[in-house]
Amino acid sequence: MSTPAPFANEPVLELRRATERSKLAVGLGELRLPLKVPVWIGRERRFGEELVSTDPGRPERVVAVAARATREEAGAAVASARAAFPSWAATPVAERAAALLRAAAWMRERRASLAALAVRECAKPWSEADADVCEAIDFLEFYARGALELQGGASPVPAGAQLLQVPGERNALRYAPRGVCAVIAPWNFPLAIPTGMTAAALATGNTVVLKPAEQAPGCGLRVVEALRAGGVPADAIALLPGEGDAGAALARNPDVATIAFTGSGAVGLELLRAAAEVAPGARQLTRVVAEMGGKNCIVVDSDADLDEAIPAIVDSAFHYAGQKCSAASRVLVHEALHDGLVERLAGAVAGLQVGPADDFATDVPPLIERAAQERVERYAAIAAETGEIVTGAHDVPAEGWYVAPIVATGLPQDSRVLREEIFGPLLTVEPVGDVDEAMDRIDALPVALTGGLFSRNPRTVQRVIDRSPVGNLYINRSTTGAMVGRQPFGGNRLSGTGTKAGGHDYLLHFVEPRVVTENTVRHGLVV
Amino acid sequence: MTSAPATLEREIQRVGLALSEAFPSHRGNPLKALDDRAMELAAQDAKLRAALFRFVDVVPACRSLDDLAAHLASFLEQVHTQPPSLRAAMRMGDTKAGRTALGAAGAAGVRHMAHRFIVGEDPKAALTTLRHLWRDGIAASVDLLGEATVSAEEADRYAARCADALETLAAAYARMDGQPQLERDASGPLPRANLSVKVSALTPLLRPEAPERGQRDAAPRLRALLRQAKELDAHLHIDMESLDSREAVLELVLDLLAEPEFADGPSAGVVLQAYLRDSPQTLDTILDWAQRTPRAQPLVVRLVKGAYWDHEVVEARQHGWSVPVFERKADYDANFEALTARLLAARPLVRVAIASHNLRSVAHAIACNRMLGANAGDVEFQVLRGLGDDLGQALAANGLRVRAYCPVGDLVAGMAYLVRRLLENTANESFLADQAHGVPLEQLLAAPEAPA
Repeated sequence: MSTPAPFANEPVLELRRATERSKLAVGLGELRLPLKVPVWIGRERRFGEELVSTDPGRPERVVAVAARATREEAGAAVASARAAFPSWAATPVAERAAALLRAAAWMRERRASLAALAVRECAKPWSEADADVCEAIDFLEFYARGALELQGGASPVPAGAQLLQVPGERNALRYAPRGVCAVIAPWNFPLAIPTGMTAAALATGNTVVLKPAEQAPGCGLRVVEALRAGGVPADAIALLPGEGDAGAALARNPDVATIAFTGSGAVGLELLRAAAEVAPGARQLTRVVAEMGGKNCIVVDSDADLDEAIPAIVDSAFHYAGQKCSAASRVLVHEALHDGLVERLAGAVAGLQVGPADDFATDVPPLIERAAQERVERYAAIAAETGEIVTGAHDVPAEGWYVAPIVATGLPQDSRVLREEIFGPLLTVEPVGDVDEAMDRIDALPVALTGGLFSRNPRTVQRVIDRSPVGNLYINRSTTGAMVGRQPFGGNRLSGTGTKAGGHDYLLHFVEPRVVTENTVRHGLVV
Repeated sequence: MTSAPATLEREIQRVGLALSEAFPSHRGNPLKALDDRAMELAAQDAKLRAALFRFVDVVPACRSLDDLAAHLASFLEQVHTQPPSLRAAMRMGDTKAGRTALGAAGAAGVRHMAHRFIVGEDPKAALTTLRHLWRDGIAASVDLLGEATVSAEEADRYAARCADALETLAAAYARMDGQPQLERDASGPLPRANLSVKVSALTPLLRPEAPERGQRDAAPRLRALLRQAKELDAHLHIDMESLDSREAVLELVLDLLAEPEFADGPSAGVVLQAYLRDSPQTLDTILDWAQRTPRAQPLVVRLVKGAYWDHEVVEARQHGWSVPVFERKADYDANFEALTARLLAARPLVRVAIASHNLRSVAHAIACNRMLGANAGDVEFQVLRGLGDDLGQALAANGLRVRAYCPVGDLVAGMAYLVRRLLENTANESFLADQAHGVPLEQLLAAPEAPA
């Protein structure tokens, strides 16, 4: 195949134009629900009804009915992927990349219906659902090109593969796929994240068993359909709808070479422990690529422009009801601005519209499920008890897993609300004497995913950059919305394995380097 | 026999020459009038320009002179080729006393600059300037600068400030002497008091993907202002901002003005931005509406180039969208002329205000107006206070109807406005910059080359 054009992000729809908005509405009208999602191993499909996903804004609306994979099926899926591995690994990288690019085209043709599915199954508001489809396409396009660069023998040799050469020997390094990759995906970017992790593994020659989040099997089905439609062999990508036990079974399977996981810290640590245990018969150390939670802080210095900071804080904390790994959850503001910021922020939050995801006017959609609603309400109760909630009552639909957006202040520094990931529309604000005090508090956290700073002094900006431990720091803008190729995404400390989705080095986690050194001297002559 | 375009072109040259001769000579050109060499430097060096504007932007947020100086020094560090005057300023930043002096000088410079553009802290404080303008034959439209509106309380506060401004302006203008040239055109009497308002300040809920939401929220506040303007016989002009809110703003205004209670007033207006590629279609929408909606006082359409060019280009590029604005000066200048011709021909369905500092665009409008056989007073010319003062005077001296757009507000609120104007007018393609740098008149008056 010819070299693809340089990577460019798939443009999101220009939803400020009515014509574009109506395209999405058409997509929703054409959606036929419920979807039936099988355990799909090779060409075998087992349908079932054990797992049901519903519309978080209207829980009686069933979005997908799925089989729930058993442990045996998890084993069968890995065995099938293991068997398919040699052939997919031996498929020229150009062909693998071409399959991914065709999968991207398949998605591009179905943008509206895919976005509509994300709206229904995960209550992604329209603009975010559209962005999720675009990001899925981006991952396919980006990793296809990345694999060509890494394994395509294209010149120049990738920087990491350049070796010193001296007379009489020839040194070469190549990146070989590792084997079977278990992809354990979340529901909050129900198309983009499973597509991204899967595409990285497939592009580099691994075979994949994808376990989508139990809340989003319908979106998981579409990801696998896209890849198979693009030409990824059926044996090379299995769909394993299921719950935690299926994920655990994958993690303990000695034939799983790599686990790619995005989700909660608790599950991520469990996977890391399981992977560290070398099972009898294992012939490989299991590598884990884990993207976990954060406790993301935005620092507002005294010279910040609140006209810009407040809308950005509101976006960062409350879009998608705060259910993004990157969402802001704490604001640390210079004491000189604290009261003014709290007053204006509370006023801005009071105007947010809580409502269904399919309404273009919605600011805060429902949470994913009842348990999430209850969790956020528990934290809100702690905040009310030990601090002050500065936002008032909100109109919230009676049905659905809604939580009104909350801003809390005055919490003690050891409060769980200031330390634990809440993953919902609850934002805290605390005063600090200066930026250094803010950075001390951030440094005390065990997690380091995203962070934000509002300051107009270049020296302050530099000081915060120097001290910031997070994987993604945003200056004078919102802290969400990382773009493939522009903001490689992932956290440090207990937030993750330091891997960067959508970045140039991400694929290195899915391959093993092999070095060959050949002696070129015969009878004292270099031949 | 000469063709119509050739006749028009000759007329444009004649008008342009007459106008340029009427420019007040004592003050030189507008940019030099800023008597701040920094502006001259800024126009030449992009990095320095950025540093200076970032400084202007942050001045109101600085807590002390020391803090101010620290910011200034911090911005200047990023300018690699520093003129000697800046190196001296940097050295001052090394000591506490130096910083205080530097901070004071910086603050004074910015205040000085702000006062050229902003006529007062509130409408009362602006009255002296407004009276002087009126006496010189120049009407005004007052624009209330303010912080961004992020909450309902802030929207209410802005609406209350607008209501207060309408009262103040109506009362003050009622006591001024008659200026026949400013008070009547072919469509009838023109209100003296004139206020420009922004929908983004009347609601915190403008959402590009849900225009009806901001419309719903802003409607009661705007309706109340329209009622008050009608009662006071004042003109209410609704400004246009970025493309993100165009649909919301235009629909809202046209819907409200179509309500029966507003058929016989007040005088009101909208803005058409010539830099937008689809502005001809927007004009279709406006004219269709005007056709369907008879009004005692025709809708005023203010034609501008548009002040959010950088924003529109950056936003489109970041999202991978086609750029909604013309990217070549010649293209939006040509579109400006085409829209001018259409607007003037559409009278009396609408009233027309040409808001431009570009001598060529203004001369073109005057020439078109003459060739259509209309009176000089049947088209209005608008200039920005602080930037278009000389042009305004030249136009008034030529017997044309002129209105100055006069921002009112404190320094904090005014900074965003100030920075936007400064950026706009030190841009390489700025007409004012060309004029300041002595580009010959023939070149300034040349027809925009045909679009590529």
